[in-house]
Amino acid sequence: MSGKLRLEAERWHREVRDPSMQAAPERRPAFVNDAGNAVEPVYGPADLEADGFDYESHLGFPGEFPYTRGIDPAMYRRALPVVSAYAGFGTPQDSNRRYRELIALGVQSLSIALDLPTQLGFDPDDVMASGEVGRMGVAISTLRDLELLFEGIPLDTLSAVGSTANAIGPIVMAMFIALGEKQGLDASRYTVALQNDVLKEYVARGTQIFPPEPALRFAVDALEWCVRHAPHWIPITACSNHIDVAGAGSTAATAFTLANARCYLDEALRRGLTIDEVAPLMRLFLNEREDFFLAVANYRVTRRIWAHVLRERYGARDPRSLQIRIMGYAHGPRETVQEPLNNIVRITMGALTCFFGGLQDLRCASYDEAMNLPSDDAVKVAIRTQQILAYEFGITATVDPLGGAYYVEALSNRMECEIAAIMERVDALGGALGAMQRGYVRNTIAEGASRRQKAFDRKERVSIGMNLFPLEPESRPATFRIDQDVERQQIERVREVKAARNADTVREALADLEVRAREGRNVMPALLDAVKAYATVGEMCGVLKSVYGEYEPDRTF
Amino acid sequence: MAAILNDAQKIRVLIAKVGLDGHDVGARLVARGLMDAGMEVIYTGLRRTPEQVVRAAIEEDVDVVGVSILSGSHIAHLSRIRRLLDAQGATDIRLIAGGVIPREDVAVLEQAGVSRVFVSGTSLSDIADYVGRCGLRVSAG
Repeated sequence: MSGKLRLEAERWHREVRDPSMQAAPERRPAFVNDAGNAVEPVYGPADLEADGFDYESHLGFPGEFPYTRGIDPAMYRRALPVVSAYAGFGTPQDSNRRYRELIALGVQSLSIALDLPTQLGFDPDDVMASGEVGRMGVAISTLRDLELLFEGIPLDTLSAVGSTANAIGPIVMAMFIALGEKQGLDASRYTVALQNDVLKEYVARGTQIFPPEPALRFAVDALEWCVRHAPHWIPITACSNHIDVAGAGSTAATAFTLANARCYLDEALRRGLTIDEVAPLMRLFLNEREDFFLAVANYRVTRRIWAHVLRERYGARDPRSLQIRIMGYAHGPRETVQEPLNNIVRITMGALTCFFGGLQDLRCASYDEAMNLPSDDAVKVAIRTQQILAYEFGITATVDPLGGAYYVEALSNRMECEIAAIMERVDALGGALGAMQRGYVRNTIAEGASRRQKAFDRKERVSIGMNLFPLEPESRPATFRIDQDVERQQIERVREVKAARNADTVREALADLEVRAREGRNVMPALLDAVKAYATVGEMCGVLKSVYGEYEPDRTF
Repeated sequence: MAAILNDAQKIRVLIAKVGLDGHDVGARLVARGLMDAGMEVIYTGLRRTPEQVVRAAIEEDVDVVGVSILSGSHIAHLSRIRRLLDAQGATDIRLIAGGVIPREDVAVLEQAGVSRVFVSGTSLSDIADYVGRCGLRVSAG
């Protein structure tokens, strides 16, 4: 059938489309997606044929290599995407109240939004923390705060608990281990799922504390600990989200993320672990907010790329090593501050891409996130959005409903080639660290951000209510604000914890932490002792800074 | 778009990140945009204190300080930068801001001596135009 499809497509262009264009042109001279590629007027079998598309090797069946159609044979017919929430603000008590409300609404997995001082290793009384305690998240300065945060919430009643801790990922993991012990739970009874993807902080998210090399080893300490003590936990979630949004676009961001993931795997292998011990613990957090179909293609094809890389480059044999779990955070196209209720529609579309992409874990953004911490109402709508998609409209009845769509598969094939090319470039620069240090990742992000801004200024990239059909005056709900007293309360609580703890135990644990860090041994046991002795995040990071050094801000632009 | 200026008239701008948030895509984008519009631009890098920003502004003899902040602590940090600039006699240095800033805080910031707050969705050319006019006014006056 080979040449026939191509000839048919050419005939249609010549005899039908081109004459119609002369009668009335299209809305735009060209349609270009965020990946910078022209979108064709229509896709058909000839496009897939040109890519050498083969059902068995490109897609296969759900639960089978290369897992394009999903990692589980039954997918959402068996288990719907986990309803997750990313939450935390003010004091641990404020956040505990929010957590209970979320659980009552049906949230199954909680990820702590940490305030910036905590993420950066500053105690609330540090001068650098001033004005930021409890603002972008909740302050977790000592184990005491985590105890208050999860008061009345046994860890084993949730599908997973975690946080976006990155530079301090292993410290937060140690706190969860200690909290589990306090709740009388063995690590096998609950699941901790961390971000702990420190490498992307240097290029996109920006909460790095240490220089990249020691930070990488520190992150892998948590991974190594889990392999030995809690192999069902998720110690690292490599994220394309922040790199994409910063400007790279989802194709390049996915390539950089896979390179970062490889960096963690390589460090674990260097320590003598095997690929089939380590790979099943990894998870990806993928993202695409500019184009619905690029998003679906991205989630599906990344599974295929992962399966090939792990089998062919690492020799992984265990199917769990080849089946990458993916989480998503549904935003949809850029949320606007203008007319924020419109964001509900955007977030719904984003969530739909995650369902069509076969993700395991999903959190929906709140419609007011572009302005402030989510309000109660907005959080509720977010959870209901995911539940409505899961239950109400036939979306989850069959596995991979967009599989085989000409457009989606053509996008996927192209994206696969582009991701492979960028990964090769990263390899040639010495892997993720080399590509970062030579500015390749930063430049890709800066160029993409500039391209997006220009497209926005020209109204080729549209936000309704912002650069197209704007309304004056804007309507917007009141800003949800954090009580100014939070900082004082947090400082006070840390002071009380310090007064009540055994100073000698703290000193010994911190001394052990320093020795282990200096000798390049896994620091998790020392962190666990320090956390249980109620050492503060600032104290632990202070010790680690004295050994690892501090990150020097990049002033290039 | 601001006119391309010759070296003698080049407007000097310090783009600063204060507070702890690590989101500097916007700050870098504005820095690049102003440079493309013919201005001399210096970027501080992440997580500077108001004291560090003011020291850099005076040492670099800038006309305008542009602060990007997304962490929510804009009122405290921007007020402090303005006070420190004024205390150093740098009352002629214009202070502008961008980032995630609720509309109801704009008036508060203007009261505190911030010349202009750019909310999200502002085009680069609008910012360049404003900064261009700022600098010219300063050199003229």
